[in-house]
Amino acid sequence: MTPAQAIGWELWRRHRRGFLALGAYVVVLAAIKFVIVARGLTVVFDNDEQFAVVVMVPISCSAVYLLAVFTYGLSGDLTARQSMYPARMFALPVSNAALVGWPMLYGAATIVVFWGATRALAPWPADLAIPTFWPATLAAALILWTQAATWMPYPFTGARLIAAIFVLQAIDAVVLIALYSRSPEWVILAITLPQLPLAYLTARYAVARARRGVVPVWRVRAVVPSAASAISKEGRTPFASPAHAQAWFEWKRHGRALPVWVAIVLPFLLLILWTAGTSTTLVVVTLLAALVTPMVMALFSGVTVARSGNTSDWFGLPPFCAVRPLTNGQLLAAKLKMTMWSTLAAWCVVGAAIPIALVGSGTWPIARDFGRHATTIVGAPRALALLGFLVGVLMLSTWKQLMQNLYIGLTGNERLIKGSLFASIVLASILGPLAIWTLDDTNRIATLWSMTPLILGIVVALKMGVAAWVAGRLTRARTVSDRTLVTGALSWTAVVLTLFGILAWLTDTPHIPRFLVMLIAILLVPLVRISAATLAVQQNRHR
Amino acid sequence: MGIIELSQLTRRFGARTALDSVSLSLPRGAVYGLVGANGAGKTTLIRHVLGLLKAESGSVRVFGLDPVDDPAGVLSRIGYLSEENDLPGWMRIDELMRYTQAFYPGWDAGYADELRQAFALDGAARIKTISKGQKARTGLLIALAHRPELLVLDEPSSGLDPIVRRDILGAVIRTIAHEGRTVLFSSHLLDEVEAVADHVTMIDHGKIVLSAPLEEIKSTHRVQGRVPSLDEIFHRRVGAAAR
Repeated sequence: MTPAQAIGWELWRRHRRGFLALGAYVVVLAAIKFVIVARGLTVVFDNDEQFAVVVMVPISCSAVYLLAVFTYGLSGDLTARQSMYPARMFALPVSNAALVGWPMLYGAATIVVFWGATRALAPWPADLAIPTFWPATLAAALILWTQAATWMPYPFTGARLIAAIFVLQAIDAVVLIALYSRSPEWVILAITLPQLPLAYLTARYAVARARRGVVPVWRVRAVVPSAASAISKEGRTPFASPAHAQAWFEWKRHGRALPVWVAIVLPFLLLILWTAGTSTTLVVVTLLAALVTPMVMALFSGVTVARSGNTSDWFGLPPFCAVRPLTNGQLLAAKLKMTMWSTLAAWCVVGAAIPIALVGSGTWPIARDFGRHATTIVGAPRALALLGFLVGVLMLSTWKQLMQNLYIGLTGNERLIKGSLFASIVLASILGPLAIWTLDDTNRIATLWSMTPLILGIVVALKMGVAAWVAGRLTRARTVSDRTLVTGALSWTAVVLTLFGILAWLTDTPHIPRFLVMLIAILLVPLVRISAATLAVQQNRHR
Repeated sequence: MGIIELSQLTRRFGARTALDSVSLSLPRGAVYGLVGANGAGKTTLIRHVLGLLKAESGSVRVFGLDPVDDPAGVLSRIGYLSEENDLPGWMRIDELMRYTQAFYPGWDAGYADELRQAFALDGAARIKTISKGQKARTGLLIALAHRPELLVLDEPSSGLDPIVRRDILGAVIRTIAHEGRTVLFSSHLLDEVEAVADHVTMIDHGKIVLSAPLEEIKSTHRVQGRVPSLDEIFHRRVGAAAR
């Protein structure tokens, strides 16, 4: 067996079930084409949903799956600083070109063949002009750039996610611009084909660095020389309690990532204010984007929060943490405390950066006038309450993004963690087109609006049902005392009722019924995820 | 009542039985050597003692408590050196000592500093930058410095260098035993166990094949008046069990 065959065999052996599923899908398409269509019968989709289920959703899921397989993403840690290229393969007696080239070639070939088969066999609508070549080259470019981005070592945890999304969105955006400007196919081919060697060279550079053990470090100490002495002073002061020590551990491990990311991204975003001139819209949109930044960054940062292990492939609770003489509740409380401090620190960065940018860019009068205008429309108390509510909801959402992965991440179940990540990516890739499809038609919007109470009601019933089940499990396992459970339930109810009061006052209109406001309040306040996280810690710690 | 009481403890990982109806009672104040080949079930047994694994059947009691129901109560009285040596690489040794101190009311700062000097560890060094042997010494330091009632060492020999193994580990274990505390340590290096253990438990394929004081084991396994080594006894017993 040659090295090329060995690399290919390993990919096949490990993911054969997935490849067989893709093959089965192609066989089903072929059966539809050669059994039904060949007999002169026609396949008619009554609506767009049927077409989406039969063709578009499988294609999207398959593309995401192939990206995960050929980047070795299913066996590595997407958020780690180290390269995701399997380190065991660095010891193989083959060149960097072979290590990089073969998985890239197999990945590109597989996705091109898959597109070719789908293009030839899927029952596309007759009125749709399906392109032949550029989707294949675009898919190959996407897979190659994803490989390059995931195999690169990075100076920060989570940087890989942002780099991968940035690269993929950039390629997508260029192609979309070309499509909207109705460019001929050769233009899109001219954009996508040169990406292939570029991605290969980048990946080769990435793997060469990773093979030499290079993991870049941004040394803060070089910038702040006094940090070393501060650390040694810190080392002499004992912690007040075990809970303080564990919260410190979690803060040092995960807490600083979010404020640092916000501090990096926000200045670039607020630079737009210097170009805003007298445009109120641009100023307001920029400020809103700045307010949303912590929540968006928390999406990436939150992926790593549940992890406690030191190595990139460790998902369970490592013995070092598991043998801390703390209860499971205390271990979880330290994580929750860290997420709160991290959220507050990120919002302190936002609170400091926005006034500085407004004053520095000279757009402060525009923002002030907008505020006055809003005050005259809804009244000063309501305008202030709206602003406070907006900031409060965004802060709460930031915290939710950080802690919402805990209940899955803390189980330490590798399949569950990776499966949920895969499902989230697939869901995210479907939600965008689904939203566009819904908003494209006023009838669909009306249907959605009329069904909103039913949908919210079902989700609330589901939430309360799962909460009751988790509470039962917690009581039976004696993880929390009855008193803690009752106190938690009462606190949650108080927060929901307060939120309901505020929302009812803010949305004082007959168009929005009160029960709808109550359903929204129930859904906004976390309940299941926190309580399920306690169960997850227990399961992970005492397997 | 023993400091550790295992009763009919069984644990399976898929089709493999890691522990098969293990019953064991370890009284306080002695050095217990847990010996067995790789994969025999030593680490699985230790992880049950620490509450890191939940008993599928049977029961585990440490200090009379269930380590799964009351992890804080049990773990606060145990010092543990993990085979995996998974100390957080981003911490400095001083920070690790300060962090660990918070969990143990009995932490002896003077003793910790004494051990740090004896182990030649630089407090300002980050754990990820020190050698494997230094990491093992650091792990041993934080396991010892709170003077635990029970010291659990899982394959300490795999990380410690020969000098620490021969001179320091033996001395430390003896000191702890003389103070009336208990040591449970697992190893597949039988000569090391023979050098420090008062009581030896042999485990093979998840079953205890022999558990008795070392002197008793040696005297009952004499061959033509010659006292065999633990290594010879192990091969004889494990061979017999395998048959």
